[in-house]
Amino acid sequence: MRYLLMTNGDTQPADETMYVEMGKFVAELSQQGVLLATGGLESTGYTVTSRDGEITITDGPFAEAKEAIAGFALIDVRSKEEAVELSRRFWKIAGNGSGRIQRVIGPEDF
Amino acid sequence: MRPCRHGVRIEHVTARDTHRTIDAVWKMESGRVIAGLTRMVRDVGLAEEFAQDALVAALEQWPTAGVPDNPGAWLMAIAKRRAIDHLRRVERHDRTHEVIARDLATAPETSDIDAAIEELDDEVGDDLLRLIFISCHPVLPTTARVALTLRLLGGLTTDEIARAFLAAEPTVAQRIVRAKRTLAEREIPFEVPAVPELAERLASVLEVIYLIFNEGYSATAGEDWMRPTLCLEALRLGRILAELAPREPEVHGLVALMEIQASRSAARTGPAGEPIPLLEQNRGRWDQLLIRRGFAALLRAKEIGRPAGPYVLQAAIAVTHAQAHTAAETDWPQIVRLYEGLVRLLPTPVVRLNHGVAVAMASGPLAGLTIVDTLVDEPSLRQYHPLPSVRGDLLRQLGRHAEAAAEFERAAELTRNQPERTLLLERAATARATGVILGDAVDGFLHRSDVDAETIRSYRQTLRRLSEAIGGRVPLDSVTPSRVAAACEEMWGDAAARTWNRHRSAIRSFHAWAVAQDWPVADLAASLDRRRPSDERTSTIDRDTVEALWAQAGSRERALWRLLYESAARAEIALSLDIENLDLANNRGRVGEQWVRWESGTAALLPGLIRGRTRGPLFLADRRPAPARTPPPDDVCPTTGRRRLSYERAEYLFKRATGYTLRQLRDARLAHLGADGWPAGDLMRLSGHASPRRLGRYTRSR
Repeated sequence: MRYLLMTNGDTQPADETMYVEMGKFVAELSQQGVLLATGGLESTGYTVTSRDGEITITDGPFAEAKEAIAGFALIDVRSKEEAVELSRRFWKIAGNGSGRIQRVIGPEDF
Repeated sequence: MRPCRHGVRIEHVTARDTHRTIDAVWKMESGRVIAGLTRMVRDVGLAEEFAQDALVAALEQWPTAGVPDNPGAWLMAIAKRRAIDHLRRVERHDRTHEVIARDLATAPETSDIDAAIEELDDEVGDDLLRLIFISCHPVLPTTARVALTLRLLGGLTTDEIARAFLAAEPTVAQRIVRAKRTLAEREIPFEVPAVPELAERLASVLEVIYLIFNEGYSATAGEDWMRPTLCLEALRLGRILAELAPREPEVHGLVALMEIQASRSAARTGPAGEPIPLLEQNRGRWDQLLIRRGFAALLRAKEIGRPAGPYVLQAAIAVTHAQAHTAAETDWPQIVRLYEGLVRLLPTPVVRLNHGVAVAMASGPLAGLTIVDTLVDEPSLRQYHPLPSVRGDLLRQLGRHAEAAAEFERAAELTRNQPERTLLLERAATARATGVILGDAVDGFLHRSDVDAETIRSYRQTLRRLSEAIGGRVPLDSVTPSRVAAACEEMWGDAAARTWNRHRSAIRSFHAWAVAQDWPVADLAASLDRRRPSDERTSTIDRDTVEALWAQAGSRERALWRLLYESAARAEIALSLDIENLDLANNRGRVGEQWVRWESGTAALLPGLIRGRTRGPLFLADRRPAPARTPPPDDVCPTTGRRRLSYERAEYLFKRATGYTLRQLRDARLAHLGADGWPAGDLMRLSGHASPRRLGRYTRSR
């Protein structure tokens, strides 16, 4: 099953040690076939609203850093516990911050 | 009370959560831990035992102390401590372990987790690869290789493996115990095989991984969730192997193949769990992420620059499918080329079957069937349901629906997958309903067991001939009543009423049976009238009676009757004679292409009948036609204005005078001649009958 691990914008910036450690962690996840995709997001974006056929696009929202998603990793794991364990390992390296773990609905749900 | 209860429940849930976490960590780490330990103790069985000891320690300590920061290293450190204790004991008792024990003496004797982390980081890759090779060692039976690999590298419990393979737990446990014992007894080295045997050993590893994948991939909805989990296990093993052995194109080939097959997971079954064939899948539901991973893996395989092996070729075929945005855009010639390569490397019946399917798509069903038909006697495919399923499909495309239906039914019998069976039976029913051909329908009818043999024999005479006359390949639903009637008239029009009725009832019975089969079929006997047996007493007009006729009635009747008797011509023909077409000198007259021949009796009567007329109908009605009912000019006498004598009128007059029909008069002549010993050929020439069969009753009556 797949989980999307997300980090919020309040994650502390990486110093050199953390950078190396995180690199190793990501490489290990890839090697084990767990990490399917990963990436970072710009802090600003657009809001799209559709109401009765009318589509509006506006700048923003300009949310607080701790509420905005800053990065994500899509992982393929056997259980929720594995996802949580990997998230735990991530935060051991990343330090202070916050994020979310959500399961991606897949073929097994149908 | 309440806070206390609340607290208790939370604690309970936490304990269970911790156990789940331990299980998750175990599955993630046990492979590496066991691999590292095996290098130390040179025995996978022992290594697993020590790793299990570490697991027990984790289950004891983690729920209270919490999960350590680096659980893998924690497990490794504990297990290693146990292993060292063990080796020390062995050293004291058994000199054969001297070398290993000395090695360990120089190894850091420490419980320091940091050291374990170092070690895991540095060595674990090679150890994992060695563990994969030893778990998949060809000295073990395939089922044991699969179980051991899932156990040692996937961290699956015996129970989970048993459920995944729908096997009994003790059976799986036995397999694993025996496998570990075999590896120890045969002293299989813990190593990555050297080049001479690398290819074969790698093939064995890939086979195990692909087998695990397929076991999971073939599972259907509603089955134990462990089965689909196998796909993920296989994919992970493959991805790990690809990192550990990056220079082996076949590893990347297998990974690509599995990624692409897995990308179709959501699209390959319908709402009821029925399988959806590749070409009918909604490609929008294919997982583009996995497809891209598949492309990338295949690219890595190709970059190595070695000739493509079986997995690379299969992956290339899967990629070709994935590249087509719609089924119609599939590059079949390319797939055929890839299969040709695959058949050369791996000429298994299954590969040849798939080659046949690709050829059918590229060059038409007949070309495909030619290849597929070479596999029909293949013993290994006798129970393989895709073979009859594919044949059924090709036969259906060729319009051979009855054969197709039989193949679909056979495939349904063979498959173990219930939704697939339902689908195949539906296809069989469709093929039977839309496509049953007359010949097959007749065969089916004649093979029914609820009718006695004598009746079947009688039915067979009728229906086989009918089928021949109309055409056995003609679809049953295109046979019309008028076509049946025409064929029957042609074959049995002159037969005795009893015979005619027997044929008719056979056809009616066949029709009723076909309706009962739910086949779309017209009322085949609708245009066949039942004939009254009293209509025929053919040979009952004896010679004396016939002779007596000549004394009766007027000149016209006498001439007609005599002509009919002497010529044995059908009454309709005789009544069509025109004066201008008579050849009185030679006792004959022409109707169309046909000559009517008579003898002296008729010849003596004709001049009186013609009496000065030169053209027009020979036999005339008594009255002129009513003005409103003007007949065609050919049927009117230019001299008298009277019309041609009609068949109905002639028949009526003959019946009133004698009680017989005109047909009986003709039949009497043939019977008499037959009795006089005329051969069938002469009777045919005389009567204009097209076949000797219809004269059988006359020649037999001799």
